[in-house]
Amino acid sequence: MKAFKAFRWNRTPDENSTLSRINMTPLTDVSLVLVVILLLTTPLAFESSFGIGRTDADSASDSEPTPAQRLRVDILSDNEVRVDDMVVSVRALPAIIATLLATTESKEIAVHCADLVSHGTFVQVLDITKLSGATNIAVAGN
Amino acid sequence: MREPLVQSAPLLTRITITPIIDVALVLVIILLITAPMLSVADLDVDLPYARSQDQDKTGYVSITLAGDGQLAIDEQKLAGLDEIVPQLRDRLRATGKDQLMVVVRADAGLPHATVRRVLDAARAGGASRLGIATNQTEVSLP
Repeated sequence: MKAFKAFRWNRTPDENSTLSRINMTPLTDVSLVLVVILLLTTPLAFESSFGIGRTDADSASDSEPTPAQRLRVDILSDNEVRVDDMVVSVRALPAIIATLLATTESKEIAVHCADLVSHGTFVQVLDITKLSGATNIAVAGN
Repeated sequence: MREPLVQSAPLLTRITITPIIDVALVLVIILLITAPMLSVADLDVDLPYARSQDQDKTGYVSITLAGDGQLAIDEQKLAGLDEIVPQLRDRLRATGKDQLMVVVRADAGLPHATVRRVLDAARAGGASRLGIATNQTEVSLP
């Protein structure tokens, strides 16, 4: 009985009850640490990436499509894109790319981007080509 | 030796270490999960948004290019573009994986020419698989 009494918490002189409160401190500790970690990692969890290839001659192999088989997309400015010989707006690009890709066997696109075009527009065009069905995107250098 | 006049109640002599072990184990597990996510530089980067993504989320080396021109490889800041090649070579050699993805985290507002120089430097440093980091979104882009 003496040993049992030694492990009772929150004893008051007049009280004979046993453990009456749950210790919330560890639970609060874990919860706060989890909140802090979530706050730190949430932006990184939504970060993603997509792979890009290259159009240089040294990377070409027999199995890869020749430049003539690739659909060529030139980003001229933040609003204008040339697909083959057509100059179109970025907004009109998804429909045009989808139509052209439907007629080609290789679903590969070579993207060339002008120097002053923002990286955001470049990624937007790559995103559109991927969503339109391109399986391989090659970025052309200068 | 004299006996104390008033016999005090037996004190709680053991500290309950179970909650501490619980907290410690939870923290270890959380750190193990989030450690790969946190291996990017703490630079101010406004990543471009994209809806598409590649499924490959295995380990990678990140090159961060901030809006103000600051460069970093993983969490280590670099003084200039010419440091990318040796640093990347060392890291790829250290991991022992030839096919390790190198992801370029560039600010959406930067001109493409700047980003292309980083992509070229990454290729020169031995990157066989290149990717561009994006913020994942489900919203249709304008």
